Amino acid sequence: MSGTWISTRAWLLMLPLLVVMIGVIGWPLVDTVRLSFTDAKLVGTTGSFVGVDNYERMLTGSSFQRALVTTTWFAVVSVAAEMVLGVLAALLLNQRFRGRTALRALMILPWALPTVVNATLWRLIYNPEYGALNAALTQLGLIDSYRSWLGEPGSALTALIIADCWKNFPLVALIALAALQAVPRDITAAALVDGAGPFNRFRFVIMPYLAGPLLVALVLRTIEAFKVFDIIWVMTRGGPANSTRTLSILVYQEAFSFQRAGAGASLALIVTLLVTVLAAAYAALLRRAAGAS
Amino acid sequence: MSALEIRNIQKRYGDVETLKGINIALESGEFLVLLGSSGCGKSTLLNIIAGLAEPSGGDILIGERSILGAHPKDRDIAMVFQSYALYPNMSVARNIGFGLEMRKVPTAEREKAVRDTAMLLQIENLLDRKPGQLSGGQRQRVAIGRALVRNPRVFLFDEPLSNLDAKLRMEMRTELKRLHQLLGTTVVYVTHDQIEAMTLATRIAVMRDGRIEQLGTPEEIYDRPATLYVAGFVGSPQMNILDAELTGSGLRIAGEEAFPLPETFRSAVTAGRRVKVGVRPEALRLASADVTGIRLPASIEVMELTGPELVTTARIGEQRITACLPPRTSLMPGSAQVFCFDEAALHLFDAENGRSLLAR
Repeated sequence: MSGTWISTRAWLLMLPLLVVMIGVIGWPLVDTVRLSFTDAKLVGTTGSFVGVDNYERMLTGSSFQRALVTTTWFAVVSVAAEMVLGVLAALLLNQRFRGRTALRALMILPWALPTVVNATLWRLIYNPEYGALNAALTQLGLIDSYRSWLGEPGSALTALIIADCWKNFPLVALIALAALQAVPRDITAAALVDGAGPFNRFRFVIMPYLAGPLLVALVLRTIEAFKVFDIIWVMTRGGPANSTRTLSILVYQEAFSFQRAGAGASLALIVTLLVTVLAAAYAALLRRAAGAS
Repeated sequence: MSALEIRNIQKRYGDVETLKGINIALESGEFLVLLGSSGCGKSTLLNIIAGLAEPSGGDILIGERSILGAHPKDRDIAMVFQSYALYPNMSVARNIGFGLEMRKVPTAEREKAVRDTAMLLQIENLLDRKPGQLSGGQRQRVAIGRALVRNPRVFLFDEPLSNLDAKLRMEMRTELKRLHQLLGTTVVYVTHDQIEAMTLATRIAVMRDGRIEQLGTPEEIYDRPATLYVAGFVGSPQMNILDAELTGSGLRIAGEEAFPLPETFRSAVTAGRRVKVGVRPEALRLASADVTGIRLPASIEVMELTGPELVTTARIGEQRITACLPPRTSLMPGSAQVFCFDEAALHLFDAENGRSLLAR
C-alpha cells in the first residue's frame, strides 16, 4: 500500500468535517474581520470601508476601557475564589466521614445546573423585597433594612462574582479531588512520621501533586470567566450604570442593541485576541510545568 | 528495659478482627521480623506502632512510655515504606533532611547530618538529584537515609525490598544487615519473604490470621517449628509434610513399614493417633548400606538442578516428597530409591490442631 493512497483517503474522510468547519467557523471569522473594517449596521446598510476607524474608536473609548477593567476584575476575583474554595472543598471531601459520597454528589449540583437557572436562582436570593440574603442578614442583625444588591453599582459586581463562584467552584473541587486521590497514601504517611503539620503537609507534599491539574482548571476557568456573558445578562444586563458590563456584554450591545455590526465585529475580534493571548500564555505555563515534573 | 513493648494489641474493623491480641517485648538493638502471608495483620501492627492506625485495644510502649494516642512524629520512630514514599518534588538531600527540617533543626546541623547519612549509604553523589532520576535501589537507599538521619529509638520497615529485582534485593538485604550491625538500632521489619526473615532477624514473629503463630530466633523457627503452618512457611523448598500413624511405640509413614519412635516424642503419643510427619528436604539423602536412620522407599519423578543442589521430587505411595541432594547425584525418573534421614531431623505434628508434638 502506498503512502499517497493512505494520505488521500485520510483527506477524503476528513473532507465533510472540513467543509462544515469552514462553513461554521472559517467563513464567519473571515466575514467578521471584513465587517470590522466597515461601518455596517445590523439591518439596512451593508456598510462601506472605513479602515481601522472602528478599532481606534473602541480602543480609545471609555466604554471599552471600563469593560476591560470590569472583566479583568470579575475574572481575577471569581477564579481566585473558585480556586481557594474548590481546593478547600476537595480537601474536606477527601477526608473519611459518614455521608462523604452523598456530599460529593451534592457538590456537583451547582455546576450541573444550567447557568440561566443558576442566575435566576441568585436573582431570587438577592431580591430587594423578598430575597433570602436580605432576610438572613436582617435576622442576624448585620443590616437594618433590605437592600437591592443587584441594583446598586457598589454591590452588583460582587453579587455576580459570588453567584459565579457558587456555580463554578465544584469544577475546581472535582479536579482537585481527583488529584488528591492520586497522592500516594505512603507519602502522606511518611510526611506524618517526618513531623510535618497539616499546613506543611499541604505545602510540601500535597501541593506538588495538585499544581498540574489546578493549572488546567485555572486555564479553563480564566478563559471562561473572561468571556462571561450569560450569568450577567440574566442577572443585571450589564447594569446598574454599566457597573457589571463586561467585554462580552459590550460586544452584544454594540452589535445587537445599538445595531452597529462593524463596531461590534471589531470589538469581538479584540476580545478574541485577548483570550488567545491569555490561552497562549497559559499553554506556555502548562508546557513548562509538564517539563518540570 | 524493653525498647519496644507490644501489649495485647487488638484491631477490629467492624466485625472483622485483624489483630487478636499481640504480645511482643523487644530489647534494644533487636531486629524483629514480622513474617506472614498477606492479610495476616503484620502491616496493620506496624502501622499501629507508627501511629498511622489506632488499635482497638492493648498498649504500646517505647522506652517504658505508652505512645498510644501520640502523634507519629512524637513516637521517636522512623519508617521506611515499600513504595519508598520519597517526595518527588524535593532533591535527595531535602528528602533525607525533611524530618529534621520539620523539627526545626538548624540548617548547618541538618546539612551535616544529611551528608553523614549519605556517606554511610554511599549516595553522596546523588544529593542534588530528584527521586525521579534515581534507580529503584538508589531510591531505597534514600528512603533508608531519611529514616537513619533522625536517629530514632525504633526503626519500622514495611516490606522495603519487595519492589526491587532479585539481585538488588540480595544486595540491599546485606546492606541492611551491615547497617544494623554497625548502628545497633532497634528494628521492626515486616515481610512475607522468609529468606529476608531468616537472614536479617534476631527474632522472627510468624503471624497468621491476626495471631503470632511462633515467636523465636531464626534457628528456633527453622529447627523447631511450633506448628505445621510455621513448618510449611519457613524453608525453601518447604518442609515435607507426610501423613503418618502411631502404632504403639512405633511410627508408620505413608503406610510403609513402621519404625521405632524417637525418645523425644514418646511422652506425647497414644497408639492409633493420626499425626503428620515433617522432614526438611535438605535432611533427606539417598540410603546406602552403611547409612543409618529412618528409611523411606520412594519412586523418583522429577530432578531439577539448581546449581548447588539437585532438587528431587519423588512419590511415597500417594504422597509427594522433595529432597535436596548433592548436584552430582545420578538418578533416573521412575527409578525406585530409598531416602533416609536422621531421627533428629524428624518433626511430628498433631494432625488435628497442627501443633508440634516435640516434648518441651
